[in-house]
Amino acid sequence: MTTQNIIEISGVEKRFGTFTAVRDLNLTLKEGEFFSLLGPSGCGKTTALRMIAGFQDHDAGSIRIGGQDMEHIPANKRPTNMVFQSYAIFPHLNVGDNVAFGLRKLKLGKAETEERVAEALEMVELGGLQSRKATELSGGQRQRVALARALVMRPKVLLLDEPLSALDKNLREAMQFEMRRLQQKLGITFVMVTHDQYEAMTMSDRIGVMFKGQLKQVDKPEVLYARPCSQEVAAFIGGMNFLDAAVTGEVNGKLHADLQGFGPLSIDVNPNVARRGPQLLAGIRPEQLEISAQKPDGYDGYLQGTVTNAAFYGENVHYHVTTDGLSQPIAVSVPNYFHTVDHKQGDPVWLGVQNASVIDLGAREA
Amino acid sequence: MSTPVSEPLNKQLSAAVSKPRRRPIRFPWLLVYAIGYLIFLYLPVLLLPLFSFNDGTIVAFPMKGFTLKWYAQLGEQDTLLQAMVNSLIVGAVTALVATSLGLFAARAYVRYRFKGRELSEGLVMLPLVIPGIIVASSMLVLFISLGLKPSLTTVILGHVFVALPFAVSIMKSAFDDFDQSLEEAAFDLGESVIGTFRRVTLPIVAPGIVASLLVTFTVSFDEFVLAFFLSGNQPTLPVYIWSQIRFPAKLPNTLALGSLLLLASVLLLLTAEYFRRRSAKSA
Repeated sequence: MTTQNIIEISGVEKRFGTFTAVRDLNLTLKEGEFFSLLGPSGCGKTTALRMIAGFQDHDAGSIRIGGQDMEHIPANKRPTNMVFQSYAIFPHLNVGDNVAFGLRKLKLGKAETEERVAEALEMVELGGLQSRKATELSGGQRQRVALARALVMRPKVLLLDEPLSALDKNLREAMQFEMRRLQQKLGITFVMVTHDQYEAMTMSDRIGVMFKGQLKQVDKPEVLYARPCSQEVAAFIGGMNFLDAAVTGEVNGKLHADLQGFGPLSIDVNPNVARRGPQLLAGIRPEQLEISAQKPDGYDGYLQGTVTNAAFYGENVHYHVTTDGLSQPIAVSVPNYFHTVDHKQGDPVWLGVQNASVIDLGAREA
Repeated sequence: MSTPVSEPLNKQLSAAVSKPRRRPIRFPWLLVYAIGYLIFLYLPVLLLPLFSFNDGTIVAFPMKGFTLKWYAQLGEQDTLLQAMVNSLIVGAVTALVATSLGLFAARAYVRYRFKGRELSEGLVMLPLVIPGIIVASSMLVLFISLGLKPSLTTVILGHVFVALPFAVSIMKSAFDDFDQSLEEAAFDLGESVIGTFRRVTLPIVAPGIVASLLVTFTVSFDEFVLAFFLSGNQPTLPVYIWSQIRFPAKLPNTLALGSLLLLASVLLLLTAEYFRRRSAKSA
């Protein structure tokens, strides 16, 4: 089974006056993929999405959808449909007419239009609500209507601009799974823009991380988490302890380095690293560290320190541990098994780390 | 029911309830002032319909008797009816032109950031502050030098000028609460630019359009100075009434006409309010 490329973006650039919103964007998406553009606000991710949709022209490069060049093709002629951040439900139309809005232009028969509207509403679990007024819908229902209205057009690509940001936390989590299920069932390519790393990770096949108009890394969520390409990507996704290390040698794809606080360790070379310098920056995820009152067995590096902060988070317990010579305390996260906080502020503790848990991040960023 | 209310809370509640009772009763100056103000404002207006039923040509008490003849005579006066028709034509055309211009201008002002936007907004609002007599005389000079004779056409042109600020500001507030992504969504769903305007923009700003039509019609229907200068031998109703008011014998007719106009404008206002409330409910 071969999957076709559905979107090919190469060398795309967008300027607003002297400000470059998107620079040298290169991205290839496969048919049936759930892709997320993740980044802080103002990083250019929404501009990128709007260029794919056709609401904004690109100043350089090319965008191809389904093999066709999109230059000079306006949004209403593109095989894409969009779910807007505000949902943009037409307030003067009822639910059925909202969903049928785009179908009217296709000049289908009345029966077929009604059938497709019913099917689309069924799909988002709003079956039978055709005559409900748009103004009487709840936030979650508006989101579902926006989805149905776009999906009823059977687009090649569905574009979603922060689709869940207006919903409260519980509803947002429920919709994450539901949208993922829907996307897998339909096999349509979804491109979502979000600033929420958890949303991106739970829903996407692949994530592109953008900073200041540039796409920094495109990878599967687990790769992005385990092998981020730089300090800024690592800091944006999940928690991370950053430690300096002095490299003493490199053998068979492993860096031998003296890690600040933990001593000599053997670190896997991270193939994603873009920039290297004389000094190595290493990262350790808080949940990858062992914390114990006695020296734990079976770890490759140890650190002896004092607890400066202990906090109960429900599903896990967070500690801050510090020792002489560290500028920042080390964050440790332990799963909550027995509903207890085992180490108190001021307690002496041991931290243990495995070689495989230390991430090579290349050079420290200024 | 049996939930015990704590003692301090109970005391607080009873204190809050009894507080207004202790306030000393004062003479309601504000109420007197308000009523006096309303009488001053509306009594002259109410005298108009009252004397329109008076069986006599002198507008003074005591009244002589009840009659409907002044109303009956209105229908026989061809020049009056013609003036009424003129005013309706001018008002309707002015309302349509000013509202259409206002609709497009307001959309541009709210949606786009372009060079000279603030300057052009200022210029559009200028007729509100220029004295009518200046506008009227300069327009008359302009139209005559262009070879346009004073007629209903020149009155319409003048009225569009003075009604435009009202249309633009009403339409601007209609576009202010209009989410731009609604138009984008329609376009994204395959609709053309014109189709988007027709199927989404127009219906959503419709209450604003109705309000603008009613207000600009009223502005035009009422307007005297421009019409006086620009109407030539086709007087509008205000110009006709002004010309009649010099003849004492015609005064009761004018009162009858004025009463009818008063009734019509109250009905118009109630209709506009009804539509406004209905649209506010659905939004």
